[in-house]
Order: sequence, then structure tokens, then C-alpha cells
Amino acid sequence: MTTAREAGLISCHFCHNLNRMPVIEETVEHDKEQEMLCYVCNSVIHSRIPSSLNKTWALVIAALILYIPANTQAIMTVQLWGDGRPDTIMSGVLSLLHGGMWPLALLIFLASVFVPVAKLATLIYLLLSIKFRSHWRPKERTQLYRITEFIGRWSMIDIFVIGILVALVQFGNTATVTPGIGALSFAAVVICTMVAAHSFDPRLMWDAIEESAHE
Amino acid sequence: MRDDNGVLDYRSARACHECDLLQQIPELKHGDAAHCIRCGATLKRFHKNSLDTSLAFAITGLILFLVANLFPLVSLEALGVSQHGNLISATWALFDARMPFLGVLMLFTTILFPLFSLLGTIYVLTSIRMSHLPPIIAPLFRFLRSTEAWGMLEIFLLALIVASVKLMDITDVHIGISLYAFVLLIVTLTILSLTLNPDDVWDPLKKKEP
Ligand SMILES: [Zn+2]
Ligand SMILES: [Zn+2]
Repeated sequence: MTTAREAGLISCHFCHNLNRMPVIEETVEHDKEQEMLCYVCNSVIHSRIPSSLNKTWALVIAALILYIPANTQAIMTVQLWGDGRPDTIMSGVLSLLHGGMWPLALLIFLASVFVPVAKLATLIYLLLSIKFRSHWRPKERTQLYRITEFIGRWSMIDIFVIGILVALVQFGNTATVTPGIGALSFAAVVICTMVAAHSFDPRLMWDAIEESAHE
Repeated sequence: MRDDNGVLDYRSARACHECDLLQQIPELKHGDAAHCIRCGATLKRFHKNSLDTSLAFAITGLILFLVANLFPLVSLEALGVSQHGNLISATWALFDARMPFLGVLMLFTTILFPLFSLLGTIYVLTSIRMSHLPPIIAPLFRFLRSTEAWGMLEIFLLALIVASVKLMDITDVHIGISLYAFVLLIVTLTILSLTLNPDDVWDPLKKKEP
């Protein structure tokens, strides 16, 4: 079993062409990483995503901080006959549940509460597993990463629901829907977790195992 | 190309994008997919006529996208006033409500990325089809691949259903003609994402190199 890196090759992220790694001369400053281009598609290539762990940590922490206003502030305010009712993510789920619309309540709960929390927890777990050079089930951890990356964008559903409601419910003084700060924070949480999952390089999990095998 | 142990042919070998393992990709038959032997990631798919099929679906998608934006997706009626909703009005409403960040997000994920993705895909696939390879193809196709996750029309459709059910409690919700086009658009885009094979684009570019 040889990895591309061990064979001195860099696989292009886009066209999967195998490019030869340049021979690094001792005199060249190592911290100034020069940009290499794929000779087929000209995209910038690297053996591993540069400072993948730092970027992912930063975005995960940003998402965790933004998660607080996303859940405590109103995502939208529904005004009916002059009576304003601010809704948070959780109160929105609960009112759907009380209205007997449990399939919708479940859907919104999964997309807005479960997926973001599970995604952040998974990313933190994967980051820690690299830090502690875990050997435990790398294949399953890679699959976990794949699911996390795939599912994250569905959390955007609540933002779109708000957009549609704001557009449709505009009846002067009778009924209006206005978006709140919570929606803004929640959208930022979703964007941060999407970019975080994208910055995470799953190959680092396998590197940790190979490196300790060589020791 | 180097050939250090004689086992791997680097022209047809791949490094797994998720675990970096070098491996030979076997000859694929119609409908086959090659998976990484170590982590199970999908490395390559093969469909006969994937280029032509994808091109047909991309053109269909573009037409449906335009129709979906011409008429309302849903309408609300209350107090003698009717309100129409579609992609553009949802984006506009967020700008109007002084939430420019959400408006921009909506504009990009439900209008600009999907539209640009369809136009770009049609251009790239047509060029490949005619064996005409201008230098713009590689960066353009790269951009389309990396913005793929940010086109969120299928999520918008689900949101539309949620919003309509919520509103049915209060008032009548009418289905607009564009909704049919929109549903077909989602079906078309899903099929397109399954048939589109990036290797159809990259392989001709590889052959062009000396
Ligand atoms: Zn490339
Ligand atoms: Zn793999």
C-alpha cells in the first residue's frame, strides 16, 4: 500500500491527474511554500490542504460562537393583527408540533437543530482523533466525514422558509413576517460549518496511522 | 511519468482523494463505479453516452429554470390581496427587509449559482463535444465543480413545501404554474448530477498535453 505522497506524487483535486512533487532544495526557505500548478488543468495543487487543521478549528469555533445568538435570538417575527410574535428556532419547532404538524416539526428539528450540532460534534471529534493520532476505525471515520460534508447544506432550509414567508406574507398592517438577527446568525453557522468541512483534509487521519507505523 | 515498481501504471492510476492511497483503476463497464480499496470513496464512474445525456439534461434544465422564474411558484390570497412568490421575490423580500446578507445568500444559492452552473455546463460540454478546447474550459469547469455544493434549489423546494404547509393554517395557498416547471427542474438537476462525469471533460484535456 503506497500513498501518492510516499510515491512523490500529488493528485490534483479537480482532474485527479498525478503530478510529480518538486524536489525541495535545502537552501529554499521551507515556510514559504511555493504554489504548484497541475499541468493538466492548471489548478493550485497540494499534497494536503495547507493548514487544514487550523482552518477547520477556527471555523468550528466561529460556528460554535455564532450558534448562541442563532438559538437565543428571534429568527423571524410574525405580526398578525398588530400582535407581534418573535420565533426562535426551537419555538418554531414547538409551535409546529403543537399545531399537529409533527412531520414538519421533525424535518425542521433535524435540519436546524440536529444536523448543525451533529456536524460540529463530528468535526471536533475528527480533529481530536488526528491530534491524538487515533488508529481506531479510520475507514468508518472517513465515512463519517463524507456524510458530514454531504448533509450540512440541508440546514439552510429554515433560512429559505423565512425568505419565502417574508416574501409571501406582506399584507400591510394585517399580517407581515420580518426576519430577525437569529436567522442571520444561523445562516452564518451553516456557512461556517460548510466551509469547515471543506477545509478538513480526511487524508490526515490516514497519515497519522502511517506515520506511527514507520516509527 | 515515473514507474518505480512496475506495478502501477501512473497514467491510469488514481490517488484516493480521501485517503491518498495510490491504486489502479480497473476497466469499467457501463454503469460501473470504482471505489477506493481502503476507505470506500467513489473514485470513478462510467456511463456510456454520459456526455450527450448530460448535455441534453443541462439544456432541459436551463429551459425549466427560465420558466420557473417567469411565473409565481405559489400565491397567497387574503383580504382581497394576492401575493406571489418565486425565487426572485424571495430574494428581493430579504433585501427589502434590510437583511442584505441573507438576500445575497439567497441570490447566490438559488439564482446565480444554479443559472451559471447550467450555462457553464452547457458551454463546457458543447465545447468537448465539438473537440474545441479553448483555455477557459479548465478554470471554468473547476469553478463549476467547486461551487456545486452552493447551488441549493432542491433545498428551496423543500422549504417551499414547509412554508406552504405553515401558511395553509392561516389562509389559502395556490400552486402557481411555475411550480410544475420547478419540480421538473429539480428532477432534471438530480439526473444531471448523476450522469455528469467529470472525466468526460478532463480526459480530452489530458490528451491535449504533450
Ligand atoms: Zn488538475
Ligand atoms: Zn481511499
